[in-house]
Amino acid sequence: MIKVLDPGLYSTIQDNGRYGYRNIGVPYSGFMDQDSAIEANKIIGNKVNESLLEITLMGPTLLFNDNYTLSITGGDFTPQLNDKKIEMYKPIEVKLGDVLKINQTSNGARCYLAFSGGITSKNYLGSKSSYKSITPSYFLKRGDEIKVNKSNKSNFISDSKSKFLLTSFLNVFSGPEFNFLEKDSVDNLFNKEFTIGINNRMAYNLTEKIQTKTKSIISSPVLPGTIQMTPSGNIIILHRDCQTTGGYSRILQLNEKSLNDLSQLKIGDKIKFKLIN
Amino acid sequence: MKYFIYNENSILITFNSEINSEFIYTISSLRTKIENDFKEYLIDTVQSINSLLIVYERNKISTYDFLTKVRSVKLETIIKKEKSKTWEIPVCYDTTYASDLEEFSKSKKISKNEVVQIHKSKIYDVMSMGFLPGFMYLGTTNFKLHCERKVKPSFKVRKGSIGLALNQTCIYPLDSPGGWHIIGLSPLEFFDLKSKPPCFASPGDKIKFFEISKSKFETMIKNKSLKPNFI
Repeated sequence: MIKVLDPGLYSTIQDNGRYGYRNIGVPYSGFMDQDSAIEANKIIGNKVNESLLEITLMGPTLLFNDNYTLSITGGDFTPQLNDKKIEMYKPIEVKLGDVLKINQTSNGARCYLAFSGGITSKNYLGSKSSYKSITPSYFLKRGDEIKVNKSNKSNFISDSKSKFLLTSFLNVFSGPEFNFLEKDSVDNLFNKEFTIGINNRMAYNLTEKIQTKTKSIISSPVLPGTIQMTPSGNIIILHRDCQTTGGYSRILQLNEKSLNDLSQLKIGDKIKFKLIN
Repeated sequence: MKYFIYNENSILITFNSEINSEFIYTISSLRTKIENDFKEYLIDTVQSINSLLIVYERNKISTYDFLTKVRSVKLETIIKKEKSKTWEIPVCYDTTYASDLEEFSKSKKISKNEVVQIHKSKIYDVMSMGFLPGFMYLGTTNFKLHCERKVKPSFKVRKGSIGLALNQTCIYPLDSPGGWHIIGLSPLEFFDLKSKPPCFASPGDKIKFFEISKSKFETMIKNKSLKPNFI
């Protein structure tokens, strides 16, 4: 068992997500940065979609009541074991009584903490991913106890090559309502730099507006990565916990790689869009 | 019908037809057909009022091949095997539970009783689901009930609440903040993780409201008689 001494800012249990229920309004959820999360699982021999902890901006402090093997990937949160700095992207053996402290991020917005064997928690609609109204608890709290499945401790990767790289260029396809935009708006969209505003697992708001006459549409399907434009020219990029339908124009769509990249950006970071179709 | 490649693993079909009850059911029949015929490739489908999004496994089939398969399904050949289901939903319109009925009736200059009579006299289509797990967009309402959303959304709308906004009515499946005008409350469970599937209705089905008294509402809550009938 692992005791949560301090939950950090926003730490959640995630796996690959909840599929097959979108038509009745259930979001996908799941790893925000799939590339980093999958790598964390691979390093310690887990299935790629195994449940783990997704950590946001400021990490938790955990006390181990047993021996475990873990791995940490994604943004650089300078993790420490018993006050000594440990390496990321490597299998780490921890013992009963050890304390893991994951600090504040120095690069990126999210890191992934995986345990060999995966986290023991109940599946809801086929997934362990935290989501309010689906899972009874949806973020880590002080005093919580995390249980880990038995692991066979095999297939460890001692030196992972696929490390995390921060990027500000996001690749997009044109969305269903792309042709609502006038030429000026299109030029602005691809020449201007944008700033990440308020964001969470559901959506990223951008600070700059685009001058436009875009109208609302009849409520239509959206996906993680759908970039919406409101009638007043605000830009919203939907992410893993987004609703299933929306009434704003869907002007662009991020590709899968850029959806992962976006999840590592923070408020105030700059981005540029690049059209790839 | 327009086919649009949405991303690496999704295709959006948009329909230009006039939106009516018959057509919403046609989209749900197309969805069922695609779900059955292409099961091995499918991750998800999302039906909305005039479109259908199909999400597939890109490591099993290429976009081109999947698009060809989807295009080969012709609307004309879809046989609607069964009639769409109509679910009967009990609603208590008493102002104890209908927190916005009084104000709504005043703003529309029609009596509370008339709002209730108009609301329950029509059978509605489940046009799409979203906003919350199990949240149903039902349409369309009589023009006398058409309205903007509330200027100030409520911090907490009780689960089972029946709302009005634009030309639609809705059911809140869970406690949630919300901007629709609440004109009634149903004692049923609309999103239950213990049920399979968690919602009894899906887009393309129909909803018929019938009025129950405050005491009947309270008895139903007490007896946990929380499943609807369908005809």
